[in-house]
Amino acid sequence: MADMGSPKKKRSYHSSRLIQSAIIHLILLLFVFIALFPIYLMFNAALKTSRELFQSFLTLPTDPQWQNFGFILNEQGYKGALYNSMILSTSSMILTTVISVLAGYGFAIYRFVGKQWLFLLVLTGLMVSETSVLIPVYQLLQDLGLLNTYGGMILPQAALGLTFGVFLMTTFFKDIPRALIDAAVVDGGSDLQVLRYVIMPLARPAIMSLALIEFMWAWNSFFFPLVIATKQWLMPMSVRIIDFMGRFTFRYDMIAATTVILFTPILVLYLITQRSFHRGITFGALKD
Amino acid sequence: MGEPTWKDAGMGRFNVRPYIFIAPALIYLGVWIFYPILNALVLSFFDSPTGRSRDYFWVGLGNYAKLFQDDLFLKSLYHNIIWVLLSIALPVVLGLLLAVLLAGRGRTRLMYASIYFIPQTVAAVCAAIVWRWIYDPSIGPLNWLLETIGLTGRPWLADESIVLIAVNMIGSWSYYGFCVLIFMAGLQNISPELYDAAKIDGAGALQQFFYVTIPLLRNAIVFVLVYTIIGSMKFFDLIFVATNGGPNEASTVVGLRIYWHSMREGRFNYAATMSTILTVVILALSVVVIRQIVTEDEED
Repeated sequence: MADMGSPKKKRSYHSSRLIQSAIIHLILLLFVFIALFPIYLMFNAALKTSRELFQSFLTLPTDPQWQNFGFILNEQGYKGALYNSMILSTSSMILTTVISVLAGYGFAIYRFVGKQWLFLLVLTGLMVSETSVLIPVYQLLQDLGLLNTYGGMILPQAALGLTFGVFLMTTFFKDIPRALIDAAVVDGGSDLQVLRYVIMPLARPAIMSLALIEFMWAWNSFFFPLVIATKQWLMPMSVRIIDFMGRFTFRYDMIAATTVILFTPILVLYLITQRSFHRGITFGALKD
Repeated sequence: MGEPTWKDAGMGRFNVRPYIFIAPALIYLGVWIFYPILNALVLSFFDSPTGRSRDYFWVGLGNYAKLFQDDLFLKSLYHNIIWVLLSIALPVVLGLLLAVLLAGRGRTRLMYASIYFIPQTVAAVCAAIVWRWIYDPSIGPLNWLLETIGLTGRPWLADESIVLIAVNMIGSWSYYGFCVLIFMAGLQNISPELYDAAKIDGAGALQQFFYVTIPLLRNAIVFVLVYTIIGSMKFFDLIFVATNGGPNEASTVVGLRIYWHSMREGRFNYAATMSTILTVVILALSVVVIRQIVTEDEED
């Protein structure tokens, strides 16, 4: 505002601002392009014939090959893989969410001996990877006779998201006004009533976020299913795709169609519930 | 308000109820995470006469001695470290810059962030498959694009000298949106008055960035760094599908070695030794980052 005086100076100030803003917009848009272009290529390739794809991958398909998807799901038997993905993701989502809500309640509402230590213990789970626990988990499943079963695929998968779940629920429940809980307790509410009628309604968005993220992780998961589900009838979509790649080498149209089948449910889910995803992912990062 | 009447179990009499609520989580993590971690440590001190057999015999630190002479393992660990550095240099730094550019940009800010995040929802397996095609030297879009504008293409995933960077680009592609989201949320917590104050003191854009933004984003930065380190040390899916460690093991990582030795060769004890090393390295790196930044905090 110091350069209000001369009109000439004002204009140059203005135009340099304009250029700066244009550059910023260009950068922002460039990364929109980078994010979306491979996804455009993937959908585009899935809808072309192999020959058309070879001619050009940029232009839109002249005759969209919707039957590619039917061919993969029905004739190639991938419907079963989609069903397995559904079972795996839904079950591990429910398991993780229920256990996390219970633990979140315990950690957020009560004070008790060893609380800090136990919470820290749970948090160390964040640093554990599938590859770190592979061998003992594999042997345990073998001993329990759970290799190549739905249970064997679901149980360890649910554990991978549990630390995040407990952490997210605890931080969220701590933010619920204490007076509301006190009032319910004074009125003679039991723990489960407080959880059901006070906490759950208030924390519904947080629980939604957790459930969605856990669903996505399990849907996209690969390592445990690869090792545990070695029989074709049990493989989820993410693992079956690899086998498909082996049989359809260079049929990039077909391979792209399988990736579209795996990706689309999550894309739709994300587009509908973006805010929930964002809340869940950013909340944990920024509390203490 | 007076004395809070909230549930207080530790001070007076012992209350078993909180433990009942946290028990399922602790037992579950115990069975599938903590017991396996300890079991891997135990397994690393034994060996078995043949693959997949469980007639273990004690070898002490024998597996560790072998491991540190295993060039392929050392190479894979080195690749993981490179991956950490590349992931910090690219998506994390980029995420921070984009978040700063987006700051104070009203509603469109969320739109941009939502779009940047989309690649993160693509399964690593899918991303690897799609990018394998994009990178394909003969029919892939990337080389076609480069040749159209007069550059020469390369066999990205078949060239030992660049394969790791090429695969990291796939990871970066899916990761920068995540970083933007975290940093953007962190920036929201910074009060605009601080920037006004800095401007009055004559701070330029760069000074504002280094003296206001960075220090106040400390929590978000620690989180992203630790998360990046953990993710980079343990990643598997992307590389397994994109290159399976090739060509000539130029992109192999510890996760692949563990999978190979256990599931393909049945050398469970040797693989468990690698798992243990991996856990220790992740823990050590995380602690170093957290302590480094927390100490800086105290010096202020």
